[in-house]
Amino acid sequence: MKAVAFAAVTSLVLLFVWERVDIVRIGYHIERLKAQKVLLERERDELQVKLSGLTAPERIARLASDKLGMMQPEKGQVVVINFEPETPANPVAAEGEIRIAKNMVTRRAR
Amino acid sequence: MASTSFRGRRILVACGLSGAFILVIVRLVNLQVMQSAELTVKADRQHQKNVTLEGARGTIYDRNSKVLAMNMDVPSVFGVPASLGNPGVAARNLSPILHVKATELEKKLKQEKHFVWLARKLEPEQGRRLERLGLDGVGVVMEGRRFYPKGPLLSHVLGFAGMDDRGLEGVELRYEQYLRGEKRSVVLQRDALGRAVFPKGLNEEGAAAGHSLTLTVDEVVQYIAEKELDEAVTRSSAKSGTMIVMDPRTGAVLAMAVSPRFDPNAVGALAPDRWRNRALTDTYEPGSTMKAVIAAAALEEKVMTPGSMIYGENGQFAIANTIIHDHEKAGWMTFAQMIQKSSNIGAAKVGMALGEWRVFDYLKEFGFGDKSGIDLPGETAGLLRGPRQWGKRSLASISMGQEVGVTPLQMVTAISAIANGGVLMKPYVVSEIRNGKGQLVAQNMPQAKRRIISADTARTLTTLLEGVVTHGTGGKAAIPGFRVAGKTGTAQKVDPRTGKYSSTLLVGSFLGYAPAEDPRLAMIVVIDEPRGEGWGGVVAAPVFRRVGEQVLNYLGVAVDEPVKLAMAGLES
Repeated sequence: MKAVAFAAVTSLVLLFVWERVDIVRIGYHIERLKAQKVLLERERDELQVKLSGLTAPERIARLASDKLGMMQPEKGQVVVINFEPETPANPVAAEGEIRIAKNMVTRRAR
Repeated sequence: MASTSFRGRRILVACGLSGAFILVIVRLVNLQVMQSAELTVKADRQHQKNVTLEGARGTIYDRNSKVLAMNMDVPSVFGVPASLGNPGVAARNLSPILHVKATELEKKLKQEKHFVWLARKLEPEQGRRLERLGLDGVGVVMEGRRFYPKGPLLSHVLGFAGMDDRGLEGVELRYEQYLRGEKRSVVLQRDALGRAVFPKGLNEEGAAAGHSLTLTVDEVVQYIAEKELDEAVTRSSAKSGTMIVMDPRTGAVLAMAVSPRFDPNAVGALAPDRWRNRALTDTYEPGSTMKAVIAAAALEEKVMTPGSMIYGENGQFAIANTIIHDHEKAGWMTFAQMIQKSSNIGAAKVGMALGEWRVFDYLKEFGFGDKSGIDLPGETAGLLRGPRQWGKRSLASISMGQEVGVTPLQMVTAISAIANGGVLMKPYVVSEIRNGKGQLVAQNMPQAKRRIISADTARTLTTLLEGVVTHGTGGKAAIPGFRVAGKTGTAQKVDPRTGKYSSTLLVGSFLGYAPAEDPRLAMIVVIDEPRGEGWGGVVAAPVFRRVGEQVLNYLGVAVDEPVKLAMAGLES
């Protein structure tokens, strides 16, 4: 009986000690993960700032004209129209919007 | 004998152990009970560390969630002179990374101080190079720095934050209370080596980041406005330029551009003059653009109809011992022609027909002489004196846009009221405020201030203002495929040397909206002191056209003259 009681007390003590040690171990682990999270958040922010700078309209326009030779459409070259057919053949596409680039229409007509 | 001596030894050992045990007990009682409070404080001081955390400043987005301003942790470098072996060597190693002269750094590192800043808020890459260097006595801490990734785009609206992360101008200043991150003290447990183990309470959260703002501004519309305005200012060698693009239905600002621009990432030694948002801080005499407002009053009060005849006095009209001139001599003309040709004499006569008080009341109703209430700092109310302070010529002068000081924002808000059918809207630039978790905290909704004119009057006036573009002084504002309504303005500035109106210092402007039938954009372009031909119809109207054409296309607004243009496209 005494031996059982001794074993039980010893187990409880060991359990308590193991629990304390484990808490400290997990604490260190949490801190490591937190530090890692901070680093990843910094990296995310850095990338976001870079992305935002790279997608600035001014830069895109400069690249489009300088590198790709693109230019602003001439006066009246792009026309946006709304169309509402009286008897829609395709009810799903009954109403919509099309953009006509003047030069492209001309080329197709040829 | 032997057993007696053994027993004695046992008693001796027992007494010794008991004595020692009693001493331990006494010491324990002393430590745990008698000195408990004092020692607990000492232990806590060694095991715990109070850290003040500050949440990052909130991000600012455009209406399509594109980042316009955000915070990022960047390295700041400090030195501990006492721990440095050789300050000269350390300075030479640090100099190429920090881009600071080695002599300057050495001077700092030789100071008899425990702590000295060497450089603050550097680029992340500089921090990584410093870490690789691994110098004793030189440390790196991370601090939040404000970044404006689009550079000068929208700088006059965004403003900027200072070194201490406090908003100093623009939206950054106006919404400081929302943008600023939360400050919170956290208690950390430290081990024997001083490393943090974990917060005292496991549920402890870090300091909350500041709220994020979503603006009504569209970065693409803003870019188009800035590009075209800059080009116009450069082309005309003007002193400055201002442009506002507004949704007349809501009062939401889609773009607000001021030229010359500045980069909020490098405010440095720039004079405040460079970052002042002239669109709402500077007043000017609007000149003929004011005739649109006077015309609205005359139509609403039924003092005039489009067909009412006005005599143009052949270009010269004497009033209060002064002569009012028209740039085009005219005899009899209709009210509609008076607007199209921008007749000063006609406008003066319309003002006189309305009378002082009605002119004054309508100007007040349209928002002149009062702040619009836009959510940006530094707005001025302009200058509108009461009729009791007017001189003999004031009624005529005010009717043609002189003797009254307005801001470009007031003018575009007024024209928006005509565009939307007669309701004055409150302009605004921030549409949403969200907390760090993305939850909606506050929302700015379109706010109608009051109805000024009836929808019928607004429709009639729109037709007259269309005439300005199709047959009048605003021909260069015409946008292919769209009906445009607007008014040109050319105001003389007072020459500070003579105190009189100058014939060379002008303000050219164009105020209008499109499509005329169902306006999506109301715009004002103001070019200050252009060289050469400074007429509003020459320097400002083309900017209106170029911006209007690109923005309407970008917004996917359907043409309101479709057949004509579509056919023209197919035929060419």
